[in-house]
Amino acid sequence: MIKKIFISLFSSYFLTLFQSSFLVKFWPKIFLPNFVLISIILVNLFENQKSNFGIFLAIFGGFFLDIFSENFIGYYILISLLISLFIKFIFKKHIQPAIKLRYG
Amino acid sequence: MKLYLRILAIFLIIVSLLLLNLKPISSNFKNFFFLISSPIQKTLWKAGNKISIFFETISEIKNFKKENEELKLKIQAILSENLALKELKKENEILREALNLGLEKEFEFKLARVIGKDISQDSLIIDKGEKDKLSKDLPVINQQKILIGKISEVYQNFSRVQLLTHRDISFDVKFSEKEIYGLAKGKGNFNLSIELLPKEKEIQIGDKILTSALAGNFPKDLFVGEVKKIKKLDIEPFQETEVQPAFDFQKLDLLFVITNFQR
Repeated sequence: MIKKIFISLFSSYFLTLFQSSFLVKFWPKIFLPNFVLISIILVNLFENQKSNFGIFLAIFGGFFLDIFSENFIGYYILISLLISLFIKFIFKKHIQPAIKLRYG
Repeated sequence: MKLYLRILAIFLIIVSLLLLNLKPISSNFKNFFFLISSPIQKTLWKAGNKISIFFETISEIKNFKKENEELKLKIQAILSENLALKELKKENEILREALNLGLEKEFEFKLARVIGKDISQDSLIIDKGEKDKLSKDLPVINQQKILIGKISEVYQNFSRVQLLTHRDISFDVKFSEKEIYGLAKGKGNFNLSIELLPKEKEIQIGDKILTSALAGNFPKDLFVGEVKKIKKLDIEPFQETEVQPAFDFQKLDLLFVITNFQR
């Protein structure tokens, strides 16, 4: 659990820094894709649905995005957490029962 | 119990988020993160700069080539313009010099540029011809009023000028400040001599030779050259001198063809 928290903390921190200081150079004139949010979505989609890593990543990723953005602290936390919970909810309510029905 | 803990955790998170958004706390909190992140950010920023410049350079190579070609064309245009201006400047200087000598008051002339030289035959080709109303035997001088020669052949757009050292040229001359007259004859290879000089006349090396109006071939008082050698033989009734022509063949560029003068 603690290991997951630390991994998600550091990975989201470096991902945010990488996005705000490095990747901005390659999209200076058009909109910059939010790689932190994309990675949160991807992790939540492909991780084991019993794992909480996606949730932690959403919280810390959102937190660091808030730190390095102009928004109030909590803005991205809320967005990423809602996205993460929504994906988990969809998996729990619709996809997993469908898989159970098909493959037993 | 579990629900109670969850509610408590959510409550704590909300409270801490609200606290973190209070103005002084928020700015100090963000500042702390900026402070600890700045070394990493600087490194990433520099790396991003270098890599993006590299990719920008690659994407702009095509533009560079085009820009380079355009600049080359511009340089060529400027160079040729510069050359033209230099030529005009030179021409202007020569005309000013000619005006200072009052050439325009004494003669009517056409300005011509030397476009070819035939060293073996002591002749030049100039860029004015029949179209410019030039005709055979017109005298040619330079801006310093030095006699160069005369026109021997006229083409439609060009003319051939025989230098005064040409073998076919002979004309009357006089010694400056002396009442001595003689016949100058071209000897070829830039050699000029004066013949038919009475033996008793005193001639010295360095004496200046001018054209005479006797035969009327050339306007009078055009500078021809200086005496460089005197030949005096007892058995001959006349003495002969070799003359160093005043013009510098290598520097002949712009010439004046005298179209009308008082004979």
